[in-house]
Amino acid sequence: MTQAESITDAELAKRPFDELVAELQRIVAALEAGSVGLEESITLYREGLRIHAACEERLRSAELTITELGRRAAATAPAAAAGEPASAEPG
Amino acid sequence: MADFAPERPTLWQASSLPPRILRVTDLNRRVRALLDGDPTLADVWVEGEISTPSFPPSGHCFFTLKDSASQVRAVIFREELARSAVRPQHGMAVICHGRVRAYEPQGVYQLYVESITPAGAGDLHARYEQLRARLATEGLFDADRKRPLPRWPRRIGVVTSPVGAVWQDIRNVIRRRYPLVELVLSPTVVQGEAASPAVVVALKRVFAQRGIDLVILARGGGSLEDLWAFNDERVVRTLVTAPVPVVVGVGHESDVTLADFVADVRAPTPSAAAELAVPDGTQLPAILDRLRDRASSALLGGAAERRRVLAAEARALVSAAPDLGAARQRTADLVDRGHRALAARLERHRATLDGVRDGLRALGPAATLTRGYAVARLANGTIVRDPAQAPVGERLEVVVARGLLGTRVEETRSDGGEELLG
Repeated sequence: MTQAESITDAELAKRPFDELVAELQRIVAALEAGSVGLEESITLYREGLRIHAACEERLRSAELTITELGRRAAATAPAAAAGEPASAEPG
Repeated sequence: MADFAPERPTLWQASSLPPRILRVTDLNRRVRALLDGDPTLADVWVEGEISTPSFPPSGHCFFTLKDSASQVRAVIFREELARSAVRPQHGMAVICHGRVRAYEPQGVYQLYVESITPAGAGDLHARYEQLRARLATEGLFDADRKRPLPRWPRRIGVVTSPVGAVWQDIRNVIRRRYPLVELVLSPTVVQGEAASPAVVVALKRVFAQRGIDLVILARGGGSLEDLWAFNDERVVRTLVTAPVPVVVGVGHESDVTLADFVADVRAPTPSAAAELAVPDGTQLPAILDRLRDRASSALLGGAAERRRVLAAEARALVSAAPDLGAARQRTADLVDRGHRALAARLERHRATLDGVRDGLRALGPAATLTRGYAVARLANGTIVRDPAQAPVGERLEVVVARGLLGTRVEETRSDGGEELLG
C-alpha cells in the first residue's frame, strides 16, 4: 500500500508543521482502525515516531519569521521609536 | 558677581513707581475670586463628551469634557460619584451640572461636577451610530458573514503601526504561543487625518499577498477621535472584501469600532487578537505525545488482537481438520491390503519355485538312479570314476535306485566306460 511509504528526511524538514501533525494523526487513525497488516502497521508506527520527533524538533528550534511589505508606504509613520528593530523603520 | 548681587533689591526699591508684583498664589487667588464671583459659573450645565476618565485611589473621578472644538478639565468627587446614576465612560455624551472654579495649587480652572446625565448622542457618536445602522442594514455585520479562523495558520498578515507597543505585543504573543508562523507586516499609520486611507492601502496590500491565511488589524487604545479611522466607511468596506478571515483588535476592551463589527473575529485588544490568531503552541508537545502514545497502544493492541485472532484461527483449523482416527483406520486398511497383496504374490512365487525345484530334482542323481544308473563308491564314500581307484579285491558299494549292493572287484579294465555301455 502506498501509505506505508516513508517520508524522506528532507521532506520532513520542509513540510509545514500542521501537515506533519495531520500525517501523524492519519497514521494513528490507521493503526487504531486496525485495517493494515502487521508488517505495515510496524512500518507505520516507525514512521509515526519519526514524524513525532521531527515535530518536536521543529517546535524546539522554531523562530518567528517576520517580513515587511512596502516599506515606502510606512514613510508617513512618525520616525523614531528607538529600540524598535531597524526593519520596522522606513528607509 | 558677588558685587552685583545686592543691587537687585536696590534697583526695585529705588523705583519710584515699582511694578505691582504678585506672588503666584496671589494671582491664582485673584483668578479664583473672579470665577467665584460669576453667578453663571457657579451653577452651570455643560454638554460634552467624556474623554479619558481616570479613577485614582482617592475615589474621585477626573476626566475631560469636550466637543469638536474645545475641552475642559472636570472632576466629580467621590461623594457625588457615589450618588451619580451615570459612571463616567470614555466617549460618553453627557450633560454635567456643577460649578466652575479655579484650582489654585495648579493654576487651572475646572468643572466641579455635581451630577451627570446622559445626553443625546454626541456628534461623533451620532455619525458612528448612523453609519453603523446603515452598514448593519446592508448585512455587513451579519453573523453568517463571519468566517472561522484557520486552525494552523502559516502566514499571518498584520496591519498596524510598525512603531510602538502594538506591533511589539503581537510579535511577543505569537513568538511565545506559536513561533512556527511567518508574520507579514503591512505597516500603516493608525492615527490622524491620513490614517483611514493609509489603513485601506495597507489592508489591500496584504489582501493581495499570496499564501496569507488570516489578517490581524490592530491598534492600541485611544479616544474616540484617535480610533476614528476604524469607524471610517472606507476601512469597513475594505475589510468586507478580505479574501481571508480578519481578526480586529482595536483599542481597549470597551472600545467597539465599526471595524470590530465587520471583523470575522473581534478581539478586545491587539494582544488578544494575536492570541486568537494562532493555536496555543505550548500545548503542542503534550498533543504530540498523546498521538504517539495512541500509536503505540494501537500497535500493541493490534498485536494482541492479532494474537487472539491467530489463536481463534488455530482452533478453527483444528476443528476443521479431517478425522485422524478415520484416517488411521484407512491407513491400516491400506497396510492390510498391502500385506495381503504381498502375501499373495509371495505365494505365487513359492509355487513357481516349487515347480523349478521339481524340475531340478528331475535332473538330480536320484532320478538318474531311477532310470537304471548306479553309483559305485569306495568304502570311504569316494565315487569311483576310474578303475584304477578300485584294484581287484577292493570292496565297492554300488548304489541303485532302491538300495545298495555290497560287492568286491574281480576284474578291472581301462577301455573307457562309455564304449562299454554302448
